[in-house]
Amino acid sequence: MWLPVVGLVVGVALGFLFSVEIPLGYVKYTAIMILAAIDTILGGLRAQVEDRFDLRIFLSGFVVNAAFAALLTGIGDLLGLDIYLGAVIAFSIRIFDNVGFIRRDVLTHYLKIGR
Amino acid sequence: MPDHRTAGPSPPGMRARPGRWAAAMATLLAVAGFLAVTQARTEWQIRRTLRIPSTRLEELAFELREQERRRAALEGQVGELRVRLAEYERAAAEGRTAAVRLSRDLQELRARVGLTALEGPGVVVTLSDSTRPPRAGEDPNKTILHYSDIAAVVAELWAAGAEAVALNGERVISNTGVNCVGTTILCNTKRMAPPYVITAIGDRARLTEYLRRPGGVLELLAAFDFPVRLAAYARVQVPPYRGTFRFEYAGVSEKE
Repeated sequence: MWLPVVGLVVGVALGFLFSVEIPLGYVKYTAIMILAAIDTILGGLRAQVEDRFDLRIFLSGFVVNAAFAALLTGIGDLLGLDIYLGAVIAFSIRIFDNVGFIRRDVLTHYLKIGR
Repeated sequence: MPDHRTAGPSPPGMRARPGRWAAAMATLLAVAGFLAVTQARTEWQIRRTLRIPSTRLEELAFELREQERRRAALEGQVGELRVRLAEYERAAAEGRTAAVRLSRDLQELRARVGLTALEGPGVVVTLSDSTRPPRAGEDPNKTILHYSDIAAVVAELWAAGAEAVALNGERVISNTGVNCVGTTILCNTKRMAPPYVITAIGDRARLTEYLRRPGGVLELLAAFDFPVRLAAYARVQVPPYRGTFRFEYAGVSEKE
């Protein structure tokens, strides 16, 4: 159960070890990727809590969502519109949804256990 | 961390496929962590070096492009102005040389028309009225010098190649007339009185030879007992013309 924590620590450590410079034009894309990753992680967490986790859905969700968000951002750059904000909002809403569900699940679980 | 808390109590339903879930989560968390840290570092670096958040970069980039465009326009203007400045400088230099040339020409022309004092080798002719008393029944006009005698001497000096002539300190220039009013001789509207001293700059030998030639004016005057003196000098001086030039009726002709 410590594996996810180890993964996070490794990622953060790698981020500090390798000073990868993100070109200015791609800062928006990495931001979207980070949001997509957080969304997927919380979605996976929620699925696990609700006991319906599927690796295929989990990974495909991340890849497709991130790719689509990146596509939207690219189109927005082409049109001069901040379409990526739409992706940011969508991801944020999903993240809050997931957090809410996880909170409810955990609370129900603990309340059940407490009873 | 929520995963820690949910992972902690480990409810029965949560471990359907614990290995795959944990691995997937670990991978994605690693990716997310890496991306987040990199992004944060990039943002921090931008903030530190540029002192502006990256969200304002687009606006600044636009501003920069605008300023670069304006700078390019100004550079073009600078180049144009430099070219014009060089033209002006060249023109000014030409103007200076032209001015120098003009002033040299002016000096030369002033000397030629007689506005400057001149000196050089030359001769001095001195003429006076006859000292001989008029004989009985003789016209007294024959014992005094006439303006025509003076004019004749001056004309002979010019003919002999004199370059500058002065009569009693009055410069003889192109429109100088030797005339008489009553008993006085006028030169340049100035009254002359004997002795008449005519100074001429030129080839001394030629002037002397020409004036002394047989049948010349001096010989004629000497024959009439006028005291005539001709002396050559290594250096004589003629004064400048002090009168005015007036063109009241004459205008410069366009035709050569």
